Amino acid sequence: MTMQDRHSERLSSAFYALSDPTRRAILARLTSGEASVSQLMEPFHLSQPTISKHLKVLENAGLIEGGRDAQRRPRRLAPHAMKDIADWIEPFRQQWAARFDNLDAHLANMKSQEK
Amino acid sequence: MPAQSHSAETNLEIDRGAHTIRMARAFDAPRAAIFAAWTQPEQVSCWWDAAGEPLATCEIDLRPGGAFKFITKGRPEMPFAGTYSEIAPPDRLVFEAMGSTGRVMLQEVAGKTHMVVEIACQSAEHLDQYLKMGVHTGTSQTLDNLVAYARGRSITADEPA
Repeated sequence: MTMQDRHSERLSSAFYALSDPTRRAILARLTSGEASVSQLMEPFHLSQPTISKHLKVLENAGLIEGGRDAQRRPRRLAPHAMKDIADWIEPFRQQWAARFDNLDAHLANMKSQEK
Repeated sequence: MPAQSHSAETNLEIDRGAHTIRMARAFDAPRAAIFAAWTQPEQVSCWWDAAGEPLATCEIDLRPGGAFKFITKGRPEMPFAGTYSEIAPPDRLVFEAMGSTGRVMLQEVAGKTHMVVEIACQSAEHLDQYLKMGVHTGTSQTLDNLVAYARGRSITADEPA
């Protein structure tokens, strides 16, 4: 398997993991810090096995990872996985960033013409 | 065109729940100047094309219900066109374009202008379509797999190495 294939497979599993609203909500919760299974059960009103199943999908997709405390098994966001997804959106962002750079230069230009 | 140091200052946020793309950027110019840069054709023509070229066509009928059309030299087959729905200088411009609502909001903060550009799509699927538009990369197979984003997650590019 080439590196490109591996990368694309990893992204696919990340997108699959993100297709479920509960898993997205879990990720959103983890953006504010790591949490244990029981901490995640409360806000979502889901059973422990259901939460664990969702966590497994997120873990397999490389979106989250286990924290240091082995007993509580807290989960946290995996920074690299989110960056891969950020990279996907990057061309769109760059297009607008370039446009805003142009606007910035244009405004400076207009200002200097006034003087 | 060489990358400018400012490019890292554009912040992009995707709110999938509200199917909205939100971009924020601060400018060292008064609101009125930025509002004029968005609404006068000779000015829009100077900055709209990301490639840095003046527009091939830039038509603006600045009134509620009035139409606009921006066409770049590089991609004449993909015009950016729509109609204005709210014109409230110097802080607010709203338009409908390509099935989505665009809002330009300008706020003065400590001598700078904070600009927020929102693109509100009709659904999450429409948002994905929107993000794909105008983006030509070799990763279309992964683009097709994009189904979701964590709600409200903001994405800021890393500084170039």
